[in-house]
Amino acid sequence: MRIGRYELKKQRRVTLSGWEAVSISLLAILFSLLLFSLIFLLAGVNPLEAYREIFSYAFLNPFGLPLTINRFIFLLLCTYAFIIPFRAGLWNIGMTGQLYVGALSTYAVLLAFGAKESRSIELNPMLVIPLMLLAAALGGAAIGAIAGFLKGRFNTNEIVVTMMLNFISFWVVSQMIKEGGIFMNPGGRGESFEMPPSVYAPLFGKIPFTILIALGLALLLTFLFAKTKLGYQIRAYGHSPAAARYAGISPVKIPFLVFILGGALAGWAGYHYFAAVPGVYKISRNYGYFGDLAFYGIICGLISQGNSLAAIPVALLFGGLSIGGRFLQGKVHMSFGVDYALLGVLMITLVAFQFFYRYKIVLIKTEEEQADVGVSH
Amino acid sequence: MPKGLLDNIKHGDTVLEARGITKRFPGVVANDRIDFEMKAGEIHAILGENGAGKTTLMNILFGLYQPDEGQIFIGGQEVKLRSPLDAIDLGIGMVHQNRKLVSAHTVLENIILGHPRAGAILNIKETSREIEELCARYGFEIDLKAKVWQLSEGEKQVVEILKALYRGAKILILDEPTSALAPPETEKLLNSIQAMAQDDLAIVPFITHKLPIVLAISDRVTVLRRGRVTARLETKHATEQGLAKEMVGREVLFQIERVQVEPGEPILEVQNLSALSNKGFMALKGVSFTVREGEIFGIAGVSGNGQQELAEVLAGLRRAEGGKVLLDGVDITYAPTLERWQRGMGYIPSERVDVGSIGDFSLTENVAMNYYFDPKFVHYGILDYGGLRQLTEELIAEYDVMAPGPDTVAKNLSGGNLQKMILARVLSRKPRLVVANLPTQGLDVGAIEFVRTRLMEAKKEGAAILLISEDLDEVLSLSDWVAPIYEGEFMDIIPGEKADREYVGALMAGSRQVEGKA
Repeated sequence: MRIGRYELKKQRRVTLSGWEAVSISLLAILFSLLLFSLIFLLAGVNPLEAYREIFSYAFLNPFGLPLTINRFIFLLLCTYAFIIPFRAGLWNIGMTGQLYVGALSTYAVLLAFGAKESRSIELNPMLVIPLMLLAAALGGAAIGAIAGFLKGRFNTNEIVVTMMLNFISFWVVSQMIKEGGIFMNPGGRGESFEMPPSVYAPLFGKIPFTILIALGLALLLTFLFAKTKLGYQIRAYGHSPAAARYAGISPVKIPFLVFILGGALAGWAGYHYFAAVPGVYKISRNYGYFGDLAFYGIICGLISQGNSLAAIPVALLFGGLSIGGRFLQGKVHMSFGVDYALLGVLMITLVAFQFFYRYKIVLIKTEEEQADVGVSH
Repeated sequence: MPKGLLDNIKHGDTVLEARGITKRFPGVVANDRIDFEMKAGEIHAILGENGAGKTTLMNILFGLYQPDEGQIFIGGQEVKLRSPLDAIDLGIGMVHQNRKLVSAHTVLENIILGHPRAGAILNIKETSREIEELCARYGFEIDLKAKVWQLSEGEKQVVEILKALYRGAKILILDEPTSALAPPETEKLLNSIQAMAQDDLAIVPFITHKLPIVLAISDRVTVLRRGRVTARLETKHATEQGLAKEMVGREVLFQIERVQVEPGEPILEVQNLSALSNKGFMALKGVSFTVREGEIFGIAGVSGNGQQELAEVLAGLRRAEGGKVLLDGVDITYAPTLERWQRGMGYIPSERVDVGSIGDFSLTENVAMNYYFDPKFVHYGILDYGGLRQLTEELIAEYDVMAPGPDTVAKNLSGGNLQKMILARVLSRKPRLVVANLPTQGLDVGAIEFVRTRLMEAKKEGAAILLISEDLDEVLSLSDWVAPIYEGEFMDIIPGEKADREYVGALMAGSRQVEGKA
């Protein structure tokens, strides 16, 4: 593009420093908030006021903050479920299904201990909570493994497989918790039976212990990819399956493994939301809402470029906006889902701004108009 | 765009002149005030190592790049080439090293594709007659009705040349015209080139390392080094040694001395091995051979005759359809790749960018490709990146790799330096068997010499080496045994000192007529 004697040109970036990446993301966030102000204006709401409400409820309010943090834990686990296969160059779009099966497996443990019959049953939390965690991980891993196995063995497109498994899992859960299902709430209501208070997750204030798992995983994954042999193998496969194969890295084992690991973490996201967040303690009727929220793990993973530490602030922001947006929607009686609309705009902007990871726009002074090409004497 | 600037040229007229061509890329001056001149009827070779600026110059002459400074004259008039279309309209034709043909179409269709006269209606009859005339005139033998995917590399090149001629090219730029050809094909091509020159076409072959060809056919030579012209002389005053010295900037050894080592135990035994190609036909049809300690076993062949499949089966990257592979007496026919490396095999793949290295990985991480499983560098599942980094530093120094350091990413290395790094990584494990697949292809003279010397040293230390090459001279000069391969079969297995160039060359082109001569 030309402006007078200057020209705007896009230039390919050779390197991208961490600092540049951070500033690009911050710019994208600001830009998307600006963009969304238009929607607030159209709805007759003062955008500054709206954002003040959203952010103060999400991050400063004593009721809002714990909700934000619980969403954050959930999103962070989903993000890691995406990141592990992503580092191997594979796309896990199946966190939704994996977390559904993780949640079902959690309640299967309770079912086995007879919790469906009586909510007041006294179970030993030191035994049952670890068992629930194990079951959630195994359930998520099992459903993830299907996609990984098909990818490694038959080179089936993992995006399609995980996506289809989401639908299957959704209806399996539905079948299980609704009228006549084995996880049915004795009172009907289209929900699962409720968890006995004896095995509620230990809390720090209003935050369950799963926050330690999520933050611990941030360090563990960083270590995995930076230091270990397995992390090296996953990264090598992610950059070049052909080169990895040459190096003796199994093209069957790696996809299988990363989907098992990713699926297990998504399973824990299921445990976290349906068995550890205070006030839920059942597979609620609107479980599909959290399935949809899980997709934001993909976005957080992409924005953080597969970096598990960078994913922390991103997941926190997304968690906060979804809580704050929901709150605002009720407060000013807006007629649509502010939370998902806001996240959607943010997501599109962040993805579009990835352009700047690869290119930069520079302003250069042009020379005088070049003589037209042809013969000159 | 004015046309017809070259319509009335006579033998010896200057058809193209470039003056003071300068092209800068961020951090490099690819072409630094290059002067260059072409006369009608002249074969003017341009020599230079990779990165010397040949490709940049060629792209400028063909309109792909615009020079930062300098002028180009065609038939005495200054022109500006905005795009290849301008160049073609002015009578410049170019044959790229990576062919730009439509493989599902016939030869004829490819030749007329994009021709201004091939509008909505094709006059197939007349067109084929014209093209056949061109073929007869210059000695090209090609079936115009054949589909391009059925052709050999040499034939595809002929199609590209015909395409340029049919578009009316008076100046023909050829990029490494002989690099993928068997000796008989090379000979034919050189004859055709000479015939074209006699018709007052100006021909510019760009060549990196086949100096004997330059000496045999060209009238003049321009040598480039680091973007500058270092020599410009008539070929009759040139010598192979002299040209190489101008290219590399130092004396170069052409013949690596073949060291005789007393062959020891058999390391690799291959029995009746066969394999399918990617397209599903039998590409390797039952080859048998043995490579002993301290021996180089050379397989000479034109690309696509089963060598690639053989190398991949040996590396465990392709399934054997039948036969047996023994390494140190152990059957590894179906062993996974990793097990082969652990048993002391080393593999230098021909695809050094896509398979042999990971572009976004640092050199340390690339070296780890052959070490991540080594107990010396793994403790309880944790990789010793510090140790690997130190090893990489040592290898960079020992193998004279031009790189800022072990943290550089591999894609920033030139082809020659990348190959040195791969060689360093593989040979530093002291493998019992080295499978080297096209180890010097596309490298410049200096790097070729280096790779050959290192392979010879590995042999001296007792490694068994399987050398797969399309360069017959390379195979003949290095190998203790020479096996010409054609359509998946060995045509013969000949002791190195008895291998005769003409005989092996004919066998790798599939001819059995000369049988019994050796």
